[in-house]
Amino acid sequence: MIDRLRRILRVARWETVRAGGGVDRRTLLAALALLLVAGGVLGGGLAAGVVGLDVDRDVYRVAVNDDSPYADAVEEAPALTRAPVDGAVLGDTADLVVVDGSRSGTVETVAVRASDTRKGEAAAAEFREAVEAHNERLMAAEENRTAAFPVTVALQYVGRTSGLDEGSTLGGDDDGDGGGESGDGSGDGGDGSDGGGGGSGGSGGTGGDTASDDGANEDGGLAVPSVDGAAFGADTVGSPGSISPPFPFVSLLLAFVFLVPMNFLIQAYGSSVLDERTNRRGEPLLVTPLSPVDIVAGKTLPYVAVAALVTTCIALGVGGGALSVIAVLPVALAFLGATFVGAMFARSFKELTFVTVGVSVLLTTYAFVPAIFTNVTPVALVSPLTLVVFDLQGEAVGLGEALFSTVPMATGAALLFGLGLGVYREEDMFTQKPVGRKFLDALAVRLRSVGKAGAGTLRSRSGLRALVPIAVLTACTIPFVFVAELLAVALLFALPVTVSIPVLLVTIAFIEEVAKSVHLYAGFERGAFARTDRVAVAVGCASAVGFFLAEKVTAVVQAVGLTELFVGRAAFGSVAGMEGLPPIAVAGLFFAPLLLHGFSTTVAAVGASRGRTYYVLTLALATLIHAAYNFGVVRVYA
Amino acid sequence: MIEVEGLRKTYGDFAAVVDSTFSVAEGEVFGVVGPNGAGKTTTLKVLAGLVDPTDGEVEVAGFASDDPEMRRQLGFLPEESPLYEEMTPLSYLRFFADLYDVPRETANERIEAALDRLELDHRERRLGDMSKGMKRKVAIARSLVNDPDVLVYDEPASGLDPVTTNSVLEFTRELRETGKTVVFSAHNLYHVESVCDRVAVMNEGRIVARGSVDGIRERHGETTYRVFTDVAPARTDALVEMFGDSGDHAALDAATEEVGDRFRTTVPTMDAVEAVREAAAAAGGEVVDIRTREPSLEDVFLDIVGRPMPGRYTGGGAAGEGSDDEDAEQAGDAEPSNDESRAAEPPEGTE
Repeated sequence: MIDRLRRILRVARWETVRAGGGVDRRTLLAALALLLVAGGVLGGGLAAGVVGLDVDRDVYRVAVNDDSPYADAVEEAPALTRAPVDGAVLGDTADLVVVDGSRSGTVETVAVRASDTRKGEAAAAEFREAVEAHNERLMAAEENRTAAFPVTVALQYVGRTSGLDEGSTLGGDDDGDGGGESGDGSGDGGDGSDGGGGGSGGSGGTGGDTASDDGANEDGGLAVPSVDGAAFGADTVGSPGSISPPFPFVSLLLAFVFLVPMNFLIQAYGSSVLDERTNRRGEPLLVTPLSPVDIVAGKTLPYVAVAALVTTCIALGVGGGALSVIAVLPVALAFLGATFVGAMFARSFKELTFVTVGVSVLLTTYAFVPAIFTNVTPVALVSPLTLVVFDLQGEAVGLGEALFSTVPMATGAALLFGLGLGVYREEDMFTQKPVGRKFLDALAVRLRSVGKAGAGTLRSRSGLRALVPIAVLTACTIPFVFVAELLAVALLFALPVTVSIPVLLVTIAFIEEVAKSVHLYAGFERGAFARTDRVAVAVGCASAVGFFLAEKVTAVVQAVGLTELFVGRAAFGSVAGMEGLPPIAVAGLFFAPLLLHGFSTTVAAVGASRGRTYYVLTLALATLIHAAYNFGVVRVYA
Repeated sequence: MIEVEGLRKTYGDFAAVVDSTFSVAEGEVFGVVGPNGAGKTTTLKVLAGLVDPTDGEVEVAGFASDDPEMRRQLGFLPEESPLYEEMTPLSYLRFFADLYDVPRETANERIEAALDRLELDHRERRLGDMSKGMKRKVAIARSLVNDPDVLVYDEPASGLDPVTTNSVLEFTRELRETGKTVVFSAHNLYHVESVCDRVAVMNEGRIVARGSVDGIRERHGETTYRVFTDVAPARTDALVEMFGDSGDHAALDAATEEVGDRFRTTVPTMDAVEAVREAAAAAGGEVVDIRTREPSLEDVFLDIVGRPMPGRYTGGGAAGEGSDDEDAEQAGDAEPSNDESRAAEPPEGTE
């Protein structure tokens, strides 16, 4: 084992030397300069967001006396800058002049003159907004809150669900809702926490700061981002116009920063892998005592190390912690795993470019889109980036949630490497086949032992044993099925139920039928299986059993409450919500999927044994059967 | 050292190698020859453990071909030798020495020795900036970093200039002297004849002849004699009878060619040589030269498969020899045999 590790490290060391040797100093310096510029721009942008910098800072000059009540309003408005009234010339030294007039009782008159230009009009509008904001702040600071805000409304943010259930929100306890609802806003001058936690922690109170971040966080309720909460978080005190829902914009932006280096990394990695294949450059490596696993592990290790290093640096830079690194590493592995497969399948650097761009878009979508709904819905936990957002917000994350977010992606990455390794051999590595055929080759390689043992001889024990690789290979598709279904849920959950549920059920049926049968098709096409109905039935049943057993792993979704969502139940209904049913019904529901999978997969397998056209047709038929079953299940739950 | 029994390799319905059986003794240089697509490269890749046989037994240096330990005893030179262009010869060879667990000091000694012998300078130059011949030498050196007992070289001189080709072939001969077992493929038959102790002739995936070059030549070819005269031989009865001509003298005419100011008559026996001498005398001339010509592997191949080696061309000389028959003969090349078989430097890119 140690020898093997040593060999892997040797390959890793030489891969580093090689990769380094491929970049000359000028290119390296140019890349560094580019990176610095990009970092500067990004940092500047973030700084602007965090410290409240505005691009229109000090655009308008407002002439106002120091002792004017409007002086502070002008002073606090970023877009306005003060100018002396004496000698102010409209349109020249000032865009706006504020002249205090006479006071009559409680009424004070003031004259505001703007230059007769568009800029003058804009300055006047900005001045008006600045004064209103100033007044809001004054009222918020007023000790007598009832006087400042005669009307109090309890504001509760709830997870956006279909409306058929209450949904669940992350980061807070269930009691929060009740508290929020019961908050009467009696104006007791308490802090934000008085109103209860959950989704409305800060809303019930009236005595908090302008944005009662602290109160919300203490309760574990809907949290305003710890970074620049004032700018992007949920304001809970103020006039209705000044209140916005919570949106962890900056945390999301910072989480996205973790993904940016991956795109550069996969370019270098994919090129290195493909470089081994073009012109058979890597052929001598295959003659060394190293196994393909050693070679690939050694080649990949430097890139994983770079990913870990960069991720750690970014985490340190943006205030993240170990959770951010742990969450991002599976994403990095998925990027690398998908790129490895792509580079093993691609015939040219041109094709590789398409593959890496596709990988980047798909994984970024998978990681980023759900994370947008952090603090809103459990769907967000589909993405490991949500953990990063939580980490940046300073919120605790349970082990189950962390595993739920990271394990599918990590497992998927491992399986992608396994898929690519299937064709990391001379016979496949250097052939120029279309990606689709390479994919089938990679699957068929894993089924060679089935063909040798003679699948389909179900009468013998050895014949049954020979079918095990089929079940195992099907089981290995579960992480991808899981990821694909979660992505489907994440993309569709925001649509109306009447649209999202039917589309989701058919999509899920299709994903699962493909997962169960595509390798069977590869086996028939590559001669691993005999093209007979008997063999088709045998391999179809084996695949169904493998899928059924592995599918139960998806029970983990219950750990994070995803099945509380209607679409979550639709997607993962077969493993959730059986509480309270009689044992026979439970058993029936438990094994019904096995019958479904056995039947539908056999249908597809029989088609696969007859060729591509038949496979496509029977796959469609299997999908329809499966979708019909799904509709039935949903109706039962509904 | 190498035992191959009933080797069969198929790709789908296509059989690349069919029932191939041969053995190679320790210290022997064994040639595998045949046209493009004959199955040479597949056979060599099976020996190197790169390709799994569909059927049959393959043992190299006492290990099965799929045994990783076998790879420690083996040096492989593929037909093409693309290297990591951003590396230097030294760093590249040290990398491979590392992969074979060769201690750094030993590796450096081996690398220096191999590069010295191959006369490769510029050891710190980027491989990408090197010529094809230099890269080939680096690839050959790579096959030696683990000091293997068995070397499998696929077309080692393919596409190289004559000087480099000579150098590579000479180096291969030296390997035999150091006790290495070498399996060597080529479709340039001169290369094979000049280096190998024994050969296997492959065609369409099958070994169609196997044995020593001389043995195969004896079985599948025949020695001919070229009689040069200063006049065209007269059509004497003895000569006509020798060629079995019925009256049109076509066979005799075909056997006699005018070469410069001389006439060359090719005959199969010494009796026929005597008949030509008498015919020349009858025409008032005399024999000015007699040469013996052994059958080349090219002839053998033609005899075995009934068609010439594809990919052969005769326009350029290999290894610095005469460029074609006529030139060699005009120059008074006195080598007794085989001068016609030297012409087969294949064009780049074949197979």
